[in-house]
Amino acid sequence: MTDERTIRIDPVTRLEGHGSLTIKLGPNNEVKDVQFNVSSTRFFEKFLEGRPMEEAVRIAPRICGICPIPHHLASVKTVEDAWDVTPPPAAIKLRRLLIEAKQLSSHAIHFYALAAPDFVFGPFADPAVRNVAAVLKHLPGVATQAIKLMEFGQELCKTVGAKAIHPTTAIPGGMMSPITEEQRDHWLSKTDEMFENIQKTVDLAKTVVNDYLDVITKVAVTPTYYLGLANDGELDIYDGLIRVMDPEGEIVEEFEPRNYDEYYGEHVSDHSYATHIYYKAAGYPEGIWRANSLARCNVADKMATPMAQEALEEMRELVGRPSHHTFAYHYARVIEMVQAAEWIKKLLEDPEIVSEDVKLADVEANAGEGVGVVEAPRGTLLHNYVCNDEGIIEKANLIVATNNNIAGIEKSLMDAAKLIFEDEGHKGLELPDPMVET
Amino acid sequence: MPDKVSVAMGQGSSCWGCFQSLVDIHMNLADVLPQLDIKFWAAVADFKHEHLEEYPDGSIDIGLYEGMARTEEDVHLLKVMRDKCKTLISFGSCSTFGGIPGMANFSDIEECYDVKFRNNKTVKGGEVPTENLPPITDVVKPNKDYVDFDIYLPGCPPTSDLILKALTALLKGEDIELPPHTVCHYCDREKEDTPIPEVLRPYQGKADPDRCLLEQGYICLGSATWGLCEGQCVNKGAPCRGCFGPPPPIHDDQGAAGISMLGSYAPIEPEEILEQVKDPLGTFWRFSYPTSHLGSMRIKREEANDQ
Ligand code: SF4
Ligand code: SF4
Ligand code: SF4
Repeated sequence: MTDERTIRIDPVTRLEGHGSLTIKLGPNNEVKDVQFNVSSTRFFEKFLEGRPMEEAVRIAPRICGICPIPHHLASVKTVEDAWDVTPPPAAIKLRRLLIEAKQLSSHAIHFYALAAPDFVFGPFADPAVRNVAAVLKHLPGVATQAIKLMEFGQELCKTVGAKAIHPTTAIPGGMMSPITEEQRDHWLSKTDEMFENIQKTVDLAKTVVNDYLDVITKVAVTPTYYLGLANDGELDIYDGLIRVMDPEGEIVEEFEPRNYDEYYGEHVSDHSYATHIYYKAAGYPEGIWRANSLARCNVADKMATPMAQEALEEMRELVGRPSHHTFAYHYARVIEMVQAAEWIKKLLEDPEIVSEDVKLADVEANAGEGVGVVEAPRGTLLHNYVCNDEGIIEKANLIVATNNNIAGIEKSLMDAAKLIFEDEGHKGLELPDPMVET
Repeated sequence: MPDKVSVAMGQGSSCWGCFQSLVDIHMNLADVLPQLDIKFWAAVADFKHEHLEEYPDGSIDIGLYEGMARTEEDVHLLKVMRDKCKTLISFGSCSTFGGIPGMANFSDIEECYDVKFRNNKTVKGGEVPTENLPPITDVVKPNKDYVDFDIYLPGCPPTSDLILKALTALLKGEDIELPPHTVCHYCDREKEDTPIPEVLRPYQGKADPDRCLLEQGYICLGSATWGLCEGQCVNKGAPCRGCFGPPPPIHDDQGAAGISMLGSYAPIEPEEILEQVKDPLGTFWRFSYPTSHLGSMRIKREEANDQ
């Protein structure tokens, strides 16, 4: 093959957003360019202008139906930062319960519905088969544990947030309502079963990792910077300082979210409606960073809970720290699921979780600027609003989780495309037999 | 697979929350999924756009379209879905009314581009991307202006119970019966028909958990909103913002109904109400601006500009 050609994959599937892929090949299959084309945008930053600050907390979740809870909470933290409000401790515990429950269900849906079909049926199975409906048919036990975990996470979100998708209970100064003792007891009674399913997920993940070790360690191994929250060095998805790790594994920055614009660069690409966020000091594209589970596991010194810490140590033995292995994201997600499960139990066992003291009564709007950060399943999520003295938004800047990864995804696709088109390296990979033959 | 019902799931510009709500029928998936022959669902199965385009017209039993049409590709997909599906369902409030992203119509598209690509805290001097991307429409037009729908299932998102109920009826070939009540009907709070002295913002004070929020001064759109959610927010302390749109006939003006409800509860001078209600457009027309009277004038203005 000597001609130039362009390969288009449209849409990119098993992705809850909107995107296509363009691969440009030159003579002898030389990979000239790989584009991840995010093909829509809805202008939230514009129409948040003019809205009351507290209403952004209810509008912003609509950015993402899989991670509405991180948006709800990043938004309320932004308002509280601008108005200098500290909610009661029980409200913060409820919020953490909410975000950990979301982490659990999001990682479960990602691992089982978006990723597992490739591993279960093999990457070359027919599209009619390589999906979650087929997992249900061929491996009902696996599907059941997946659904039970998603159900646990989503329904717990609903208990705390009124709605699992686009929650409405967080408000500047706390939460609109507490949870009752009956609700707490109900969820406590379900935690044993939840832990059993977590254990099964860990076991399945380990099998997959061992089976696909050759793929994991050879395909899309892409050194980048990494971005994530750490709280006293521990992996934390609700609070902490923002860390940046360089490709050699050195923590090069640790800063207060408020100062993010000193460190965050935003590159407007010519082929994607999603901008590319990068480490400003290193410039673009040298400073491309990635966020999400693996990035968090890279930047954190340790996990916050014991079972998760054990799992992290095992992963580090296998792939090191930092791990640049794009496929290790799946592994890291499972480790984070373990931490979320342990957090949920701990919070439910805390007597303060049913406290009725969850909302301040004397919150006042004032002119100011706020920044709020949490970790969404897909990475560090940052909201920044400026408001006038009536608390009406004048400017909004949103750095959504995925935008931290777009450039990294392209880079990693470039590595994968080179391996496949230039070196035909995929032919020599050791692939296990699919768990299920179709 | 003759005993299966063929389905296609299309996604316009949206958040995927409606589909997440479908997934959240949990163990019922084990009953429902095996009855479906999935012909297209980008987030779940690996079919590409050309697969969908190649199916014969009218060959797919049920189509669900989530999201509004923000790009030319969205409009195209919406029309293809209409051609291929016997029953096309408008899935969620974005698809039905324009939804939250319909608020982009408050501004001109160039102002939207400014904030997104040209001038914001971390962005300076970028250009609107074009390569291998579908153009963005100047204004959000309601999906129903592009195609006819057979069924509207509003909600942001529609609840999992509602989706399960609708799917079960469709799979049996039955009509979907939906109760017409507003959110107030499902609200546990007591109404005492007392006038409100002043309008409060939801972070102010502490609301009595047993009394109607509107009567305590907190704006609540419950009485102007279709109660298919069964009052999930108002029963957990948060006032209704109208995410299910107006009750049937569902293309009535929800915002106008909400404002007149506030007017009848608040014997306050108009100037003062205006002072106290900080953002009428974004409060009363948050989910349905493109299909409202005001919103359609905005769309006509754009169309006049184009000519
Ligand atoms: S209606 Fe709501 S849940 Fe559905 S796509 Fe639109 S924003 Fe998301
Ligand atoms: S207006 Fe709101 S709070 Fe009052 S009864 Fe209706 S839904 Fe309930
Ligand atoms: S109470 Fe109102 S805002 Fe909440 S889900 Fe129902 S319609 Fe939507």
